[in-house]
Amino acid sequence: MENVIRIDKVSKIYRTGEVTVDALKEVSLTIAKGEFSALAGPSGSGKSTLLNIVSGLDKPDGGTVELGGRAMTAMSASDLSDFRRDHIGFIFQSYNLIPVLTVEENIEYVMLLQGVPKNERRERVAKILAEVGLDGMQKRLPIHLSGGQQQRVAVARAMVAKPAIILADEPTANLDSKTGHDLLDMMEEMNAKHGVTFLFSTHDQMIMEHARRLITLRDGRIFSDEVRG
Amino acid sequence: MTLFFKLAWRNLFRNKRRTLLAGLMIGLGLAAMITTDAITIGTIDNMIASATRSFLGEGQVHRDGFRKTLEVELTIADGPALFEKMKNDPLIRQASPRTASFGMVTSPANVQSVMLYGIDPTYERDLSQIDDLLVSGDYLAAADEPKILIGDKLADLLEVGLGDKVVVTVAQAHTGELSQELFRVGGIFRFGSRQMDGGMAFIPLKRAQEMLKLEGGLHEIAFLFHDKLKSEDTALPLWTELSAGGNEALSWTGLVSELAMMRSMTDFSLFLVGIILFGLVSFGIVNTLFMSLYERMFEFGVMRAIGTRPRQAAQLMVMEAGGLALIAIVMGSVVALIVNGLLLHYGIDYSDAEFIVALREPIRPVLTLTQFTLYPFLLFVFTCLVGLYPAIYAARLTPAKAMKRGL
Repeated sequence: MENVIRIDKVSKIYRTGEVTVDALKEVSLTIAKGEFSALAGPSGSGKSTLLNIVSGLDKPDGGTVELGGRAMTAMSASDLSDFRRDHIGFIFQSYNLIPVLTVEENIEYVMLLQGVPKNERRERVAKILAEVGLDGMQKRLPIHLSGGQQQRVAVARAMVAKPAIILADEPTANLDSKTGHDLLDMMEEMNAKHGVTFLFSTHDQMIMEHARRLITLRDGRIFSDEVRG
Repeated sequence: MTLFFKLAWRNLFRNKRRTLLAGLMIGLGLAAMITTDAITIGTIDNMIASATRSFLGEGQVHRDGFRKTLEVELTIADGPALFEKMKNDPLIRQASPRTASFGMVTSPANVQSVMLYGIDPTYERDLSQIDDLLVSGDYLAAADEPKILIGDKLADLLEVGLGDKVVVTVAQAHTGELSQELFRVGGIFRFGSRQMDGGMAFIPLKRAQEMLKLEGGLHEIAFLFHDKLKSEDTALPLWTELSAGGNEALSWTGLVSELAMMRSMTDFSLFLVGIILFGLVSFGIVNTLFMSLYERMFEFGVMRAIGTRPRQAAQLMVMEAGGLALIAIVMGSVVALIVNGLLLHYGIDYSDAEFIVALREPIRPVLTLTQFTLYPFLLFVFTCLVGLYPAIYAARLTPAKAMKRGL
C-alpha cells in the first residue's frame, strides 16, 4: 500500500536553560494511505512533538520527514504553509475555530486560501455540513455552538480541502464520552467512505480501541506498533 | 484578500472598548494636529490681516530708496499720475496716496518725535482702519482741514485731549527748512501697538504736502487687491509695472518680512509637531496591536497551521492597523470639528498681547481641506507602517510555538 508518511530517524531536543530533553530519539515510522492510526503514550512521551513534526508545525533536529513523497524538512516556512494547506487537515483539542468567522466561513477558510471558486466552495461546504450533521448552522458563530458541534466543524474544515491526511491532536479530550464517541464514529465513517488517512495523538482509551493501528511512544521512542484486524 | 479584510475588521471589534479607546487616542493625535494647524493658520492670517488692513495695505509703492532713508525729496516718480492709474487697475480694489516724514509734535506740556503721515481721508477710509480705531473724536473730514489724529499713548505723553492745540514741525524737501503749523487734535486712535499709538500721527494730505513743499508729490501709495492672494504672487506683472521709472512696489511679504518668514517657519514647526504627535501615537498603536496579537496567539498558530502563509499573517496585522486608523480618522475628525467649531465660535482673545503686530481680533482657527484629507491620509499610512512591527512578529511566529504560547 502507498505510504502517505515516511519518517526516518527523526530526533527532537528541547533546551530550557541548561536542561535538555530528548523529546524524540531517532524515531522511524511509515503511515500508509487510508490508515486510521493513533499515537498513544503517557504525557512527555513525544506523541504531540511527533505530530507537530509530521505536520511541519515544528522542525526536527535530525532525520527526515516525507509526506506524499515530498521532503518536508527542506521546505521554507511559506512552502510549508502551502503544503499544509493543500495536503494536511488539522483537528486540535479545542478552540481551534476562528471565533469571528461563521461556521460556513471557517470551513471555507482553507478553500479560500487555495483559491477555490465561490460556487464550488459553497457546494462543498453544504455537502460536508450535511455529512457532519450540522446542516442549517452555516451562519452561526462558533460561540453559539456546543463543544461537540465545534469539533464537527473542525472535522468539516479539515476534510473539505480534500487533504492526504488528517492529523488530530487529542480531538475528544474536551468532550463528554457520548459526544466523543459520536465524533469518533463520524471520523471512522469519513475514513471508510472517503479513504482519508487519520493519525491521532491521544490519551483517550476510546480512540485507542477504535484505531486500527496503535503506535505507543515512551520516552521519545516507539515502544510498540500494533496493527489490528 | 477579501477574507483578510473581513477578518481584520471583525477582529478589531472583538474587544470594542480597547479598539475604541485606541482609536480615540490615535484620533486625538489627529485632532491635535488639525487644531494646531488650524490655529496656526488662523494666527498668521490674523496677524497678516491686522498688519495689512489696519494701515499697511497689501502692497505699497515708494520711490526706490525712500524706505531706507525716509528722505523727504524721494517722492514717487509721477506719483499723482500713478495713483490715478492704480485707481483704475482691475486688480486693485483700493489705493490711497500718502506722504510720510519725520515730524515733531509739540504741546504746552511735552514734545515728541513722530512718523507723520499725510492722508487723504476719502481714499484712506476704505483702505486702513484708522477711522474704525478712533477711541474719541472724529475722523478727518476734508483733505485740508487743520486737524491731527494722534494715538492714545501720544496723547497721554503730550497731555492733550480732543480740541487741544499742538504744533507740528517738519523739515521741508530740498531746503531742509523747518516748517511749523498749528493743528487741533481731532481724534485719538488706538491700534493696540505701542509703536503706532505712541509714534504715529495723521494730518490731511494737502496740508502735509504744503508743509513739506512737495508740490503735490507723494511718498507712498498703499493699496489692496480684490483678491488678497494676488498680493503674494511675486510673478504678477503689476509689481514690475508699478516699479517703473525708479519706483519700488512691494507686497506686504516684503514690507513686513518677519510675518512672511514666520509663516514659512510655521510649516517646519508643524512638521515637527506632527512627528512628535505621531511618534507618541505609534507607541499606542504598537501596544494595541501586540495586545491583540498575544490574546490571539493560539488562533494565529491555528491559522498558520491550516495553511495561512507568513506573509498573509502579516497582511492581516497591517489590515487591522489600517482598520484602527480608519476608526481613529473618523473619531479624530469629529473631535477636530467639534473643538474647532467651538474655537471658531468663541475665538482666542489675544487683544492685550502684541507680537509682530497687535492682534485686535480674536484668533479663530482656519479649517482647510488639506487638514481633513492629507493629515488623515498620512495618519493611515503611518499607522500601517507602524503596524509592520507586530505584523513581522506575527509572520515570524512558528505555528507550534504560537500554539504553545497561546495555551
